[in-house]
Amino acid sequence: MSVGKAQGDAEQRGRRHALLREALPNFAWYKRVDLRRELFSGFAGAVLVIPQAITFAYLTGVPPEYGLYCAMFVGFFASLLGSSVLVGGPNTAVSILIGMTVIPFAGRGSPLFIEFVFALSLLVGLIQLVIWLLRGADLFRYFSPAAIVGIKVGVGLLLIASGVEGAVGMSPFFTYFAYEKFYLAAAAWRDSANLCAVATSVATILSGLLLRKRWPRAYVILGLLVGALVGAGIYGVLGPVDSQLELLGHLRVAALPLTMPMLAPPQLLFLEHTFFSALAIAVLGLAQTLVIARDLKASVDPNVDLHKETFAQGVANALAPFFSTFAGSGSFNRTSVALEMGARTPLSGLIAALAVLLIAWALEPVMTFLPMAAIAGVMVLVGIGMIQNNDFRLLRSRVEAAVFGITLLAVFFLGLEVGIFVGVLVSIGFLVASISKVGLSISRQSEEERIAITGNLFYASLDRLAKHLRSNPRERTVLDLSKVAYCDAAARGTIEKIRTEREQQGGRLEIIGGQ
Amino acid sequence: MKKLKLAIIVWLLASACGVHARPSIEELKSRAVLDDYESNVVYGYDIVMETNKYARRYTGSTLACTSCHLKGGTQPNGFALNVAGLYPKWRSKNGVRNGLGLRIRDCFLYSLNGIMPPEESAEVQAVAAYVHYLSEGQAIGKAPEGYSVPTLPETGSDPDPARGQAVFKRACTACHGADGHGTAAAPPLWGINSYNAGAGTHNVAKLAGFVWANMPVGQERSLSHQEALDVAAFIYIQHRPFDPREGRLKKLAEKIYRSIWGGDQTKSSGK
Repeated sequence: MSVGKAQGDAEQRGRRHALLREALPNFAWYKRVDLRRELFSGFAGAVLVIPQAITFAYLTGVPPEYGLYCAMFVGFFASLLGSSVLVGGPNTAVSILIGMTVIPFAGRGSPLFIEFVFALSLLVGLIQLVIWLLRGADLFRYFSPAAIVGIKVGVGLLLIASGVEGAVGMSPFFTYFAYEKFYLAAAAWRDSANLCAVATSVATILSGLLLRKRWPRAYVILGLLVGALVGAGIYGVLGPVDSQLELLGHLRVAALPLTMPMLAPPQLLFLEHTFFSALAIAVLGLAQTLVIARDLKASVDPNVDLHKETFAQGVANALAPFFSTFAGSGSFNRTSVALEMGARTPLSGLIAALAVLLIAWALEPVMTFLPMAAIAGVMVLVGIGMIQNNDFRLLRSRVEAAVFGITLLAVFFLGLEVGIFVGVLVSIGFLVASISKVGLSISRQSEEERIAITGNLFYASLDRLAKHLRSNPRERTVLDLSKVAYCDAAARGTIEKIRTEREQQGGRLEIIGGQ
Repeated sequence: MKKLKLAIIVWLLASACGVHARPSIEELKSRAVLDDYESNVVYGYDIVMETNKYARRYTGSTLACTSCHLKGGTQPNGFALNVAGLYPKWRSKNGVRNGLGLRIRDCFLYSLNGIMPPEESAEVQAVAAYVHYLSEGQAIGKAPEGYSVPTLPETGSDPDPARGQAVFKRACTACHGADGHGTAAAPPLWGINSYNAGAGTHNVAKLAGFVWANMPVGQERSLSHQEALDVAAFIYIQHRPFDPREGRLKKLAEKIYRSIWGGDQTKSSGK
């Protein structure tokens, strides 16, 4: 008794130690650092995140600085506590969902709205920490690589669609399906397309695509530069009134924008009303982070710890409102750019967080006049890159192609938030289907039937075998379980039962191999 | 039974009337929960009072809306903002019919010397909500009492910047500073932190009406009409940011266009 208790205690202590190890920052990666590569990819990530952060802040409904703070602080804490090159920060789907959750309760962009966004972000972070304690990341071990490719391609298409309004200079419009934006833009073209914006965004996209062959690592930034120059020229010649080009405007970025999120009765009432939305946002944000971590684990670094990334994301989001920003998650496109530029450790994420601040300070006067159409063009460029930078050889098998196709369709038509869950379900579905496939090789030797079984015997895969054995109860059968990888109690019980049934009816069932 | 019905109707009417009493901004701010319109009104008020804090993204000067729209747009004859009922209206300034949104965006571009916010931006919507809030009870389509600034009558003498300089030194430097670049007490009247040459106040008659009706603070209407016109002319001739409709690149482009393809020679001869 006492021995068992001591063992249980030790086990519990071990578990607590494991949690502690996940919760503390781990700098074991410093031995692998290639400083030049990490530095370059960090700065490139910062340049890339600035237009995205501004766009996502707009999607959330808060001023653009808050998006930059998200890139700085959510990115910083996610990298500090995380174990991989995974880049955190503002995220499209999370931003849209936060905006959609808060908009019924306060005027878009008003101080009350911002307080609610902070309160919601805090709740999202705390929910993610609870998910970490409940070991929620285990679910994502089953995510198949084909589903990840499907999500990446889908996100690329969504990014392209999200750039449509900005690229043609129209007011943002809401659609149920992303592809509708193309129809709406085409339909409203004659009345409300702004040719100056179109020229700017087309210059951005075309120059980016043309320069991509020559400078595969910097083409996004170069495209933005060309687009900004074209836009500035148009703006200068035609003036603000005739060109109607929308500009970014002044950004007032502070180094440490400390705030205390208000949790007075109105905020608590708001949280009570939106608890399930917060849960959905937490799960969705975590799902994106973990899908990326899962991808990294498979392709780059087998030491990536999914639980540690869960904890890092939860802490980063819970701390976000204390640094005047909103919740985020891991970013597919920025992580893939960081990988392309040779980053392998969290250092690039830390550098990117700092570089956002430096760039925002140094380039503030220039960035004020950055046309929003050029930023929309960058979104399209990044989207195209995300679609092309995939390993499509994965999809040769029919099952993988089906997983890819279903996930892609779900992401594109039902949105990323639904698509990720469909991806998990489809992956698990095909996994279950493949492991519950049991091979029966039946051979006959005079009176005796010999059945050799391969695969896993468990409650879901038992049917075929049981049906075969019961169809002929008088047979004498030798059941060879030596090649069975796993046999659960249900399967063992059933086989035992069939053996007694046979003995009663004059047959025989002999089992060799297995336990 | 009939009496009960009557009582209910009376109570409903009374409560309906009660809802329509306009709450003050202070009262709104002290409330625990605001609906969308009210929170937007409060945000708009904050923008009008502290433009550089709440709408920094689109401003380009140290002016606030309340620098010209005195007391948060509640001062009659001081560009009061209770004008929502007048829009949409045609304006000669841009030659199109202006909605309230476009009118507010114009203020950002010219009077605040900033960049034009998009129509659907949070800032424009908030200021529009605040203008609607101030306009409650006004007749639609009719200019309210104390609209804009008074038009000064003919004085028989042209505005003279030289005389205006003397008036400026006597009456304005205490708050606006000797160089007119503003102090903590009053906004800049010219220089790079003031309104640009496309602004509505860059107009001698309009500025004179504003000065006469509202300046100096505490001694309003103490200047004569002629003094107000003179000081307005003095302010008018000072340096300030250029009209964004007349950009330098635009002039350069016109010059290049004319030098290559010819065009209106009388304009390019620089007479």
